[in-house]
Amino acid sequence: MPKLTIAVAKGRLQDEGLALLENAGAGISSAALSSRRLAVEDETGSYRLIFVKPADVPVYVEHGIADCGVVGLDILLESGTDLLQPLTLPLGICRIVVAAPVGVSLSDRGMLRVATKYPRIASAHFGAHGRPVEIIQLSGSVELAPHLGLADCIVDLVETGRTLRDNGLQEIEVIGTSSARLVVNRASYQLKAEAIGALLDALKAALKTNA
Amino acid sequence: MSEVLSKIPNGMRYYFGAEARRRRAIEETAMSIFAGWSYEEITTPTVDYHSLFEHGMGNVEARRAFRFTDVDGQLLALRPDVTSAAARAAATLLAEQARPLRLCYAASVFRQQPQSHAEWRRESTQIGCELIGENTPVADLELLAVAGEVFERLNLGGSYLITLNDVRFFNGVAADLGLDEDGRERMRRLIDARNAAELELFLASFAAKVEAAEFARLTQLSGKREILNAARQLRSNSESNAALDRLEALWNVIESLKWQDRFEIDLGDVARLDYYTGLTFKIYVRDAGTKVGSGGRYDGLTASFGRTEPAVGFVLDVDALTELPLLRQIDGSDQTDAARRPAGANVAELFRDAVAKRQQGERVILTLQR
Repeated sequence: MPKLTIAVAKGRLQDEGLALLENAGAGISSAALSSRRLAVEDETGSYRLIFVKPADVPVYVEHGIADCGVVGLDILLESGTDLLQPLTLPLGICRIVVAAPVGVSLSDRGMLRVATKYPRIASAHFGAHGRPVEIIQLSGSVELAPHLGLADCIVDLVETGRTLRDNGLQEIEVIGTSSARLVVNRASYQLKAEAIGALLDALKAALKTNA
Repeated sequence: MSEVLSKIPNGMRYYFGAEARRRRAIEETAMSIFAGWSYEEITTPTVDYHSLFEHGMGNVEARRAFRFTDVDGQLLALRPDVTSAAARAAATLLAEQARPLRLCYAASVFRQQPQSHAEWRRESTQIGCELIGENTPVADLELLAVAGEVFERLNLGGSYLITLNDVRFFNGVAADLGLDEDGRERMRRLIDARNAAELELFLASFAAKVEAAEFARLTQLSGKREILNAARQLRSNSESNAALDRLEALWNVIESLKWQDRFEIDLGDVARLDYYTGLTFKIYVRDAGTKVGSGGRYDGLTASFGRTEPAVGFVLDVDALTELPLLRQIDGSDQTDAARRPAGANVAELFRDAVAKRQQGERVILTLQR
């Protein structure tokens, strides 16, 4: 079978993702893990894992440089890429929410200023409700924006809600739930069908054992 | 030079040298094969009415075209495909010609909005064939054979794969479940993304649990004849059955010809249901990150132009083929002989010698500094 290249999102999902892959028979030696190499082979030699920033996972997979990837739905929605999603993985589960400072009402504004790392998701959400918004794209510390007057509210990812509370924000609305997805390139899916089928089966079996 | 003059617009590019020759060679190989199967070349207008493409491709695809207005205010477009105009020609200009009508083309098409991040080009070259006026498995197979010959001739014999589906399989199931437009689109998207788990959840409210799981599994993976056999086990409806019968007829011939290594049946190929009416196929080549060609049956298209007749066609993406690692060795140059340098005591003699060498068929390169 041809070797599969799997792009794994660094950061939030990385450890959980690697643990799942290990249970599915794509384990990485601890030596390779502790090195700083960004492309490593698994111990069976069937897979090559590459570690890239979450937002770059869909890019590598869409171009077919990686055959598959493990990435959060939030990143996937934001990227607008055309990828197959044959498997939902119960990793990195969180909510995508609209949050505003405690005590502030958003309903009486003619237009909202929304600070977010997810401009596409935010604009689709408010667009669907016919609400005019100005999207202010930030790359981090989004929770600060409403307090400093940059925005009226934020759209962000929430896992426990602690960061929101600590920064005096409250959830107004849940836009959706995000968890990790296995994404696959359309051409690889056909051309390496056997290898991808084997990976899907192994992941499903690993998920069943975990549950 | 100012930035504006040196820069070229997004999605546009130059081709030169070996790459330009390779493109030309691929195009000529394909066109000679099309001619070998008696397809007549048609050249369609580069600029046409936008409404043509709305009818020919559907609103969503047509919206991606570069648009501008004519002097009388009519909306024009740079052609985003060739099939629309070919179908119009078949129904009008070529209405009296004997059927089936076989047309082929090699042309640039333009899309203001690229298809995806991986297909970033806004100008691309398409080569394709249309077989108009016949709806039989033989006509379907002819197109597959023509496409196959192109890949064989490009020495991609063991490296390409054609996936087959018939959109009536999906349409029949959707109708049987009584889905409205939204439900149909939701089911289509889940199948298209191969999201079997969510598809199963979605179907659970309409169909029996076992049925839902089996349907989700069937549309997730492609395969050979066993896919057809498994699909027959599902609750049947006449439209889906017609699709399976047609695919089976095709598959029988494919097996007799021992072509089954190059083909797969993929009931999950539901990318353009608004356009195709029967067989659909997609062509993939090893080491290419996207498909290199696609096609299918569009029996509803020519009706827009006042004459209803069946049609089947396919298109290959020359740019994707040019970039294939497997085709890099094609140089396209027949300049095996070294260039000769014509000589002469004066300019007239120089050119006399050059013209004489050219008449011998030799390649010349002039030294112009005298």
